[in-house]
Amino acid sequence: MPSSNPLPPKENALFKRILRCYEQKQYKNGLKFAKQILSNSKFTEHGETLAMKGLTLNCLGRKDEAYEYVRRGLRNDLRSHVCWHVYGLLQRSDKKYDEAIKCYRNALKWEKDNIQILRDLSLLQIQMRDLEGYRDTRYQLLMLRPTQRASWIGYAMSFHLLGDYKSALNILETFLDQQQKGNNYDYEHSELLLYQNMVIHESGDLKRALLHLEKREDQILDKLTLKEILGELNLDLEQYEKATKYYEQLMRRNPEKTTYYYKLIQARELVKSEDIVQFYLVLGDLYPKSNPPKRLPLNYAVGDQFKTLVDSYLRQGLRKGVPPLFVDLRSVYTDKSKVEIIEQLLLQYTDALKSIGKFAETEVNNGPKEPASALLWVYYFLAQHYDYLDQTEKALMYIDAALEHTPTLIELFVTKGRIYKHAGDPYEACKWLDEAQALDTADRYINSKCAKYMLRANKLKEAEEICSKFTREGVSAMENLNEMQCMWFQTECALAYQRLGKYGEALKKCHEVDRHFSEIIEDQFDFHTYCMRKMTLCSYVRLLRLEDVLRGHPFYFKAARCAIEVYLHLFDEPVKDENTEQELNIENLAPSELKKLRNKQRKARRKAEQESAQAAQAQVKRDQYHKAKQQGDVEADTPHLDELVPEKLAKAEDPLEQAIKFLQPLQNLAQNRIETHLMAFEIYFKKEKVLLMLQSLKRAHKLDAINPKLHSCLVRFHEFLTKNKATLDETITEVIESEKGVLFKNKDVVLLNREYLDTYGNSLEAVLEGAKMLYYLNSKLQSTALGLVTNIDNKYQDVNIKTCKNVLKSLKNGDFGPCDTEIEQFMTSCQVLFPHAIDFRSPSSIVHCESNHIPPDPDNYSSN
Amino acid sequence: MSSEQVVNGGSEDTDERSQKKSAKHDCGAADLEKVTDYAEEKEISTQDFSGAISLIGDQRNKQAAEKIAREKELLKVLIKKEDVDLIVREMEISRIKAERTLREHHGNVVKALIALTN
Repeated sequence: MPSSNPLPPKENALFKRILRCYEQKQYKNGLKFAKQILSNSKFTEHGETLAMKGLTLNCLGRKDEAYEYVRRGLRNDLRSHVCWHVYGLLQRSDKKYDEAIKCYRNALKWEKDNIQILRDLSLLQIQMRDLEGYRDTRYQLLMLRPTQRASWIGYAMSFHLLGDYKSALNILETFLDQQQKGNNYDYEHSELLLYQNMVIHESGDLKRALLHLEKREDQILDKLTLKEILGELNLDLEQYEKATKYYEQLMRRNPEKTTYYYKLIQARELVKSEDIVQFYLVLGDLYPKSNPPKRLPLNYAVGDQFKTLVDSYLRQGLRKGVPPLFVDLRSVYTDKSKVEIIEQLLLQYTDALKSIGKFAETEVNNGPKEPASALLWVYYFLAQHYDYLDQTEKALMYIDAALEHTPTLIELFVTKGRIYKHAGDPYEACKWLDEAQALDTADRYINSKCAKYMLRANKLKEAEEICSKFTREGVSAMENLNEMQCMWFQTECALAYQRLGKYGEALKKCHEVDRHFSEIIEDQFDFHTYCMRKMTLCSYVRLLRLEDVLRGHPFYFKAARCAIEVYLHLFDEPVKDENTEQELNIENLAPSELKKLRNKQRKARRKAEQESAQAAQAQVKRDQYHKAKQQGDVEADTPHLDELVPEKLAKAEDPLEQAIKFLQPLQNLAQNRIETHLMAFEIYFKKEKVLLMLQSLKRAHKLDAINPKLHSCLVRFHEFLTKNKATLDETITEVIESEKGVLFKNKDVVLLNREYLDTYGNSLEAVLEGAKMLYYLNSKLQSTALGLVTNIDNKYQDVNIKTCKNVLKSLKNGDFGPCDTEIEQFMTSCQVLFPHAIDFRSPSSIVHCESNHIPPDPDNYSSN
Repeated sequence: MSSEQVVNGGSEDTDERSQKKSAKHDCGAADLEKVTDYAEEKEISTQDFSGAISLIGDQRNKQAAEKIAREKELLKVLIKKEDVDLIVREMEISRIKAERTLREHHGNVVKALIALTN
């Protein structure tokens, strides 16, 4: 339908030029043409021109004006599809996708076959994953433009994404049949074939996929991918000979890629460890410079053969001075006998290198001496080795020996810091990292590590300062790191704030991380058109799938867990209003003291006012800076989000609902982690939602039925049911009766707990939960429960810093009732076990430790 | 970042590669900028598509009809409002999802709830 207010030919030509300018991002010119139309008194209120002017202004970052013009345009011409379309585009740029879709639909009412609007609608549908809607729109586009390539591919893809492989393949085939007559095989054609193959592969018809690929081998230009898929398909079809051939070819291309070795083992049907070791030895001769044939057999060899192999592997690494040698070998430490062999060898190296400069004393006469640095790397390895085995004193002894040998090697300082971290002293750890950082201030890795250790030691200011060495000048480091989506930093900040009890600040950081994830999801928008045009369809589908599970990423998990913990805490202990607290105290004050207090308050208020004025000024500057940047940027589509204010976040009225917002992505995307369901239980326990508690417990139970934390959840759930029996809805009771069998095995709660304590009596982690419940169920049993968790000598297999810290936390948390003497005793006995760990020291000594910046007397830790 | 990888992994030609090196710092931004460039859709040599098109149309109508039949079947199931209310309240899910689950379990609220707690 034409506009209700058509322009005469001259103006119409100008209007077309505005459109063209918009497409080609020549916004300034676009505005010029708009002005030419609007300055004619007959057309000052021409709707479509006004709308286009607004849209162009939006691209220049002038958002407020943009909305004004677009809305005015629309009001003047409500029956114009252009105006509605433009309004939709504006909403879209503000990420208001639902609103934008409504606008597009209105636009289509006036012009139902407009290609551009349909195309824009389809983009929003795929972005929102309205796959059925996407399919319908793509269908319309195909019917309207069957001669366009994108119409066919888009329609086929909509079926693929819906899992309807047959329809997807039908369309792709029809399309390719029509096309093939051209016969020029370019890269895009090759990509399309690979995409077609991906769809066949996913449909499960491997034979057909293999045939498809073999027939078109010469048309596919990405030879690496081609061979990898051919290898994979042959392997899955158990055509081992052919698979072997492909993987051998691939290995020749890149003998460093470990997957090729694993696949080749599969293709050769090797299962016995000896055969696999032999296989690697043969390949080692074939590719003498490659690492995998030397490293990988160590995973399979045992006994003397392992010793011979690891001996030569270690010697080579130590001779060359390969810093990550220990990290490289750490994965074989799951086998105790291998750990022993490695330790023996290294001790032998130490002695021999010290006495004759060789790796073995038996080799006095043969060959040249090893380089002097070999001993250093042996010390370095041993320090990490003992650290891994939690033998802190030995680890420190060796790292100090290494430092004495070469006091300038940065890695040594990092390792020393790490040893202290593992020993439970983040302050000392941080000090050593700071030293390391000072040795090379241009090394970004060390810089970041140092910042992380500082955050672990709750030194937020210092960490930001260290980071500022690498952030952009003119903005605060904190802000720049947020802009750069530096999530590890923000998450560590959140955790530090959480430890310090600054809950609002912690939540702010968690929300920032959450926003990064939203932003990444929004960033995919432009690729819907781009990938279709470039025909990189396999990568495109992978991108879509990645975005679907984005919040399953460990970075999100960590931040979400922190946020949930904080919100749960805030539910139990809401932040108190400072003013009311003070008012309460005032009543008990003498008049003179009251006056003093008032004076103090006034001063404090003035100071706060000044500060907030300064902050406001800084904010204005920042805004100006952002504005300037946006105007420079052609695409200024960062939506203005609400500012995150720590005080407001900490005073959330509905902490549990807020927690659920962080929880839900985890329930969908991290359902394999039991912690997800345990956190869910805690939230719903506080909300008293029985069935959702049941849901969390069932899911957790499926993952790990004997998890200690799950046990205490089960006991509390059982108690909850007993106490609320009378008030529960009939239907709910029925559901629970039918489902609780799996969880409780029809035992009463006391028996359940006793059996758990008996069965897992050798694990402190399990006993902690059991004992907690013992007290929870019957407070008369306090001394029994306390006895179980505080007498930790020889009874348990898992007495380590982490479990003991958890015990202490529980004791302090009041899970066992009042028990101050026991806490003190427990801390004393832990201090003996873990002399470095600060958690078990009395608070006064920690303060001392924090302020003590003089490095410890080196003699205390000297190697001899 | 995923976005950049996609660009770099795409079929940029070698000219662009060399340009990229010269503009050290802004190359990522410039590449990203290209992503939003406007491009005309490529037309393919006009063939006789009408046969294929009508085939696709038929297929589509058939599928749509099947879907409507399925939905109708579901709509026939009688459900009670208070059951839906209970599900919405207890499971904290949307009304639409609650109704659908209840219908899929033939209106049996206990079974629907058990399924939802799985």
